Amino acid sequence: MTENKTISAKKTGASRKIVSAVLFVLVAALLVSSGLGYIVRGMDGTQVILDTMRTDAVLSTATSGLVESIAAARRLAYSQELRKSKEFRKMGTDAYIEACDKAEAEARDEATALYSDTSGVDRAALEAAIPGIQGIQGRYNAMKEGENEAYAALYTEVVDSIGDWTEFCDANADDDALWSALCAQVETLSDNVQLRPGMIKLVKAMAEKEIAADHAQQAAQLWSSASGAVEDWTAYAEAADEELWNLILEAVPSLAENENAADFKEELLASAKLAASGEAAAEAESETVTAQTQVDYSYIVYSDQLQALEKEVNGAFTSLWDVLISGIPALSELKDKDAAALRERILDVITASEGDFAQQYTKYASCGAAKKLTGFTKVKMVVASNAENLLLLGVAALLMAALFAFWKPITGKMGVSRSIILLFFICLMLAAQFYKINMSMLIGNILERVSMYGVLVLAMMPGIQCGISLNMGMTIGCVSGLFALVTSLNFNINGWAGLIFSIVVGIIVAIPLGWGYAILLNRMKGSEMTISTYVGYSFVSLMCMVWMGIPYHNPRVVNLLIGRGLRVTHSLLGNYAYILDELGSFKIWGVTVPTGGILFFLICCGLMWLFSRSKLGISMSAAGSNPRFAEASGINVDHMRILGTVLSTVLAAVGIVVYSQAFGYAQLYTAPRQLGFIAASAILIGGASVKKAKISHVIIGVILFEGVLSMGQQVANEAVSGGGLSEVMRIMISNGIILYALTQSGGEQK
Amino acid sequence: MIDRKKITDFLKKYIVTILFLVLSLTFIILGDLDMTSVARDLMKRLSRNAFIVLSLIIPIVAGMGINFAITIGAMAAQIGLLLAINWNLTGPVGILVAAAITLPLGALFGYLVGVMLNKMKGQETIGSMILGYFANGAYQLLFLYIFGNFIPLNPKVTIIGATGVKNTLDLTTNGLAQAIDGILRIPFLNCVYIFAGAGLVYALVMFLLKKITKKKALVTAGCSVVLAAVFCLPVVANCFNGKNSEAITVPGITWVLILLLCGFNVLIMKTRLGQKFRAVGQSQTVANASGINVNRVRLIAIMISTVLAGWGQLLFIQSDGMGTLTTYSAHEQVGLYAGAAILVGGASIDRATNSQALLGTLLFHLMFLTVQKAASALFGDAVIGEYFRAFLSYAVIAVALVMYAWKGNAKRKKKRRICEPHN
Repeated sequence: MTENKTISAKKTGASRKIVSAVLFVLVAALLVSSGLGYIVRGMDGTQVILDTMRTDAVLSTATSGLVESIAAARRLAYSQELRKSKEFRKMGTDAYIEACDKAEAEARDEATALYSDTSGVDRAALEAAIPGIQGIQGRYNAMKEGENEAYAALYTEVVDSIGDWTEFCDANADDDALWSALCAQVETLSDNVQLRPGMIKLVKAMAEKEIAADHAQQAAQLWSSASGAVEDWTAYAEAADEELWNLILEAVPSLAENENAADFKEELLASAKLAASGEAAAEAESETVTAQTQVDYSYIVYSDQLQALEKEVNGAFTSLWDVLISGIPALSELKDKDAAALRERILDVITASEGDFAQQYTKYASCGAAKKLTGFTKVKMVVASNAENLLLLGVAALLMAALFAFWKPITGKMGVSRSIILLFFICLMLAAQFYKINMSMLIGNILERVSMYGVLVLAMMPGIQCGISLNMGMTIGCVSGLFALVTSLNFNINGWAGLIFSIVVGIIVAIPLGWGYAILLNRMKGSEMTISTYVGYSFVSLMCMVWMGIPYHNPRVVNLLIGRGLRVTHSLLGNYAYILDELGSFKIWGVTVPTGGILFFLICCGLMWLFSRSKLGISMSAAGSNPRFAEASGINVDHMRILGTVLSTVLAAVGIVVYSQAFGYAQLYTAPRQLGFIAASAILIGGASVKKAKISHVIIGVILFEGVLSMGQQVANEAVSGGGLSEVMRIMISNGIILYALTQSGGEQK
Repeated sequence: MIDRKKITDFLKKYIVTILFLVLSLTFIILGDLDMTSVARDLMKRLSRNAFIVLSLIIPIVAGMGINFAITIGAMAAQIGLLLAINWNLTGPVGILVAAAITLPLGALFGYLVGVMLNKMKGQETIGSMILGYFANGAYQLLFLYIFGNFIPLNPKVTIIGATGVKNTLDLTTNGLAQAIDGILRIPFLNCVYIFAGAGLVYALVMFLLKKITKKKALVTAGCSVVLAAVFCLPVVANCFNGKNSEAITVPGITWVLILLLCGFNVLIMKTRLGQKFRAVGQSQTVANASGINVNRVRLIAIMISTVLAGWGQLLFIQSDGMGTLTTYSAHEQVGLYAGAAILVGGASIDRATNSQALLGTLLFHLMFLTVQKAASALFGDAVIGEYFRAFLSYAVIAVALVMYAWKGNAKRKKKRRICEPHN
């Protein structure tokens, strides 16, 4: 048996060596070619080739634009002709489209044959004209971008600082009053007077949008309560509007009493008809909250300097256009609209020379300039343009090779799951580089998420230390925190007072709940994780009913339409949203550091560390890691388990308050159900097992886990069209890690 | 004295069952519900869900707890069904092909689940649940990105203008909906008479063969006659044959399949494999010592359960009222509801029978049906009923787990107490 094992170990060792050797060869090849690419970029001849390519690209853009517009015109003319003819009625849509396509293709071939010869153009004049335009256009673009950026910053500030647009609009009916109120809200706005008309329009549009959104949301909520009341909507497929309306009124009694009910008639009837026809209506609960404000550029007004610069660009372009027309006279016959579109395309080609080598090359090649390159020159240019990608691939391959070669020592030190996640982390970093995702934004995002989830993950630690393994029932703590938070909203306790109130009350509520839960867990040692999961789940569902019935009456928290029960999502914007994160927040290399949130997390970690060094903390971990030994040395194991569980619950209560303020919204009902899983997978990734956890595991885990998730989200968005992939990734990583930990613990037990 | 102890034991064992019965009756009274419609809906739900719940029994007997990973079997069935729709198959043939695809897929998935569960002995309940979550991620990856991109599909099942499978697949136009249920529909009353007749014949034959005593035969025969007589009463009969509304029918083939599975569950326990299941379920150490390959037996148990659950899911989908397959969520709650249902019937984490499974399904869905209507009658809001039943499902499982752990710990303590003097 042992012999067999050593042989197989040797075998796998040998194959691993071969794989890593092959990988190393690949790495060398990739790195060398990338190096060659960089050398080619530096050579004199390359720049000349690139310049020629640029002229070619401009010329071919011009001719192709001409050909396309001729072909499109021909298609239009032909289709009009067809419509007039008698046969048109007989032919189907497909035949019609086919005929048009054919005519268009013929026209295109003709035009290409006519105009593909560009030898008539004065190349020297063209080459002389291009750099001039490039300079002006470059300045124009830079300035426009700067103004856009300033506008975006102002826009976000305005949008974030105003909680209720309708109220704001109503309070300042006059345009002047509106502007001064805006300037009072956002001080920097008064320096940008040219934005005034745009901003006023924006505020009014937002107010309208808000009213519409409110209306839609209320209708959706109404529908969600109405749809459940009727078992089978399809039975009413034939029903008239009035009958359906009566049905809805019956289903939602509060609606019948509501005098504004008629406002929602249209929406509700539409939903009811949709349900009656057997299709699933959109669910009301799947409302997603975007954490970042989307900037709408349609309200921007540019400064005078920029407009002057635009005129200058126009002038320079006209001279270039003249050169082109003298070579290809047909260009002058283009319609104004086509000519304007062509102008944009040519300018786009010219400004590409502002970018780096790879960008220039891909732009020119996509315009058809690569066709004229031949043989060795082409290979040279392709390698040079891909030097960066080759370098990235080389580094990735190097990492893989190193991992294969040193698999044993690495996994031995860090554990299999952590090494795989680390590798994944690095791969995602490289992929982010490849897709040119803004690095500082990425890091800022990770930091934000670390401060958001940190305390929640920390809550897992005392549970593991005291021996109840992964405390999936920490949702009990989360719910107490949410209760405190909603209470603070209900009693209008705002700002810092609200935050502190939520934390303190959350802790006070969490202690007895955690206590009772701990006593339950003490009675069933050995299968805590299973039970805690289901206890947590059933507590969350129980609290769903409590949220429905809680006697809170503040319109801020109550589901306004039904008139009782709390809303699902509570906005903290304009209250204590981001209050902790923005405390002492600063920007460094473009990264916004949420100082307060990170500091709070680190302080909590520090306190936990101090506690675990104290006598009590040490006896708690002793009770967890070896209960028999602990009992023998006089430690009351049951008490220690209660202490750990209560600590975990309390931290979860604090954690959810911190999480909600960083998210900007508090979510009730079924939202907190999966938080235990997220926290568990994070601490496991950090290197903890179901029996052992340290502060370092918490910190490493939260950074790795949140890093992988937030980078994965952005890379997946770039790589695959349509969202959802990042969510799939989250599900698989999070549950996969927990499964791995379970298999490890199972091995130890039996 | 003995009687009282028996009663308390019975109460302890069936407390959840009784609670559900009481709750359902309360809801019926509070909600003032129409009994005929309740009975009709209940019949539909019972025939729809019973197969899946029955598929949980073998792993429970084999000591692996409630196999929440039956969601993975359901996923296998949905892959089979998707392919059947993709190949333009219709009616019972489509369901049969889907079932044929489910067999190898389910067996493969069951094998993988079994390998994982063998690595986490003692944590199977949570392990199988998380395996289900994990597989849900893989399932979404498969249906959203791999189907359509790498495995070509018929354009009518993919999302228009993108890759990936549609959110809902229509089952009505291709005749897959009600494909099995619709073959043979028997009025409920006829079913009762057939059942009563079978009881009579059974009593007679057994008595003549001298397998049972005269007293027992008389009791059985009497019960059958009384049952038939009760359902002959116009008051009761009108309730079921639908004088005022549509008659209650029983999907014949579905129930034949359900009864076949019950038979399979009983018969397999009498084979050598079944004895191994039981031996492993009672004590892995003892089973191992007597030469049973414990891991292999557990693997087989999970594989059978996964395939059966897949077939159960096919029965469920074809019978579902909407006539559609909600591609991304139809499987999600399968494990939770089936697990809760079998526990409501009086099963525990290590013991379950056919009758418990059927009774549990009946009561669980009776509660499901009544709570929503009662909630909308009482609170004017159906949502609270939804929360209440989610709470009850989770709570039932939690309570069963707590009871089981409690019992285990008590046993262990007792053992230690007995062992101590010898030390």
